[in-house]
Amino acid sequence: MVPPVQVSPLIKFTRYSALLVGMIYGKKRYDYLKPIAEEERRAEAEEKRRREELERIAREMAEGSAGSCLLRAAACPVSPGGEAAAL
Amino acid sequence: MAQAAQRLLQRVATRGPQLVSAALAYSRPRLATFWSYARVELAPPTPAEVPKAIESMRAMVRAFQAGRLAQLTVREALRNGLVATEVLMWFYIGEIIGKGGLIGYNV
Repeated sequence: MVPPVQVSPLIKFTRYSALLVGMIYGKKRYDYLKPIAEEERRAEAEEKRRREELERIAREMAEGSAGSCLLRAAACPVSPGGEAAAL
Repeated sequence: MAQAAQRLLQRVATRGPQLVSAALAYSRPRLATFWSYARVELAPPTPAEVPKAIESMRAMVRAFQAGRLAQLTVREALRNGLVATEVLMWFYIGEIIGKGGLIGYNV
């Protein structure tokens, strides 16, 4: 077996300091990015909730006007069947 | 159908352990070689080596100031570049450990 190479102390030192610096950098950057992503997710969820609420209101209004339309023919924007309006 | 399934199961039962032992037999001597080299070549610097490393870093700066860079042969420059790349890769391994995820930042 070929004897192992004696790696220069400089290379060993830079290797392990690079490893350490990388660990610190990764941790710092992760801690910096985490709350930003959290905030983004929260804002998106809020937006979705708001949009669904608006959609629900619109749907209920549409149903409501259709319902009242059946009760009171005069309230109809477009009369459902001409004879109903004629009565 | 059931017979085929049984045959398959039997094959897996007999071949599975064989494959595992073959993989072990293959990797064990290679891992031993790897470890015997890694213990020497990948070892962290001992405290006694740190001043030496700092001293050679100073020597490198002095050599750079003296214009050593212009006298470097292509072979030496290539070798130094490879070593620098390796150290950079160590940084990325550190980043992977620091952020706690292999791919991207899992925020």
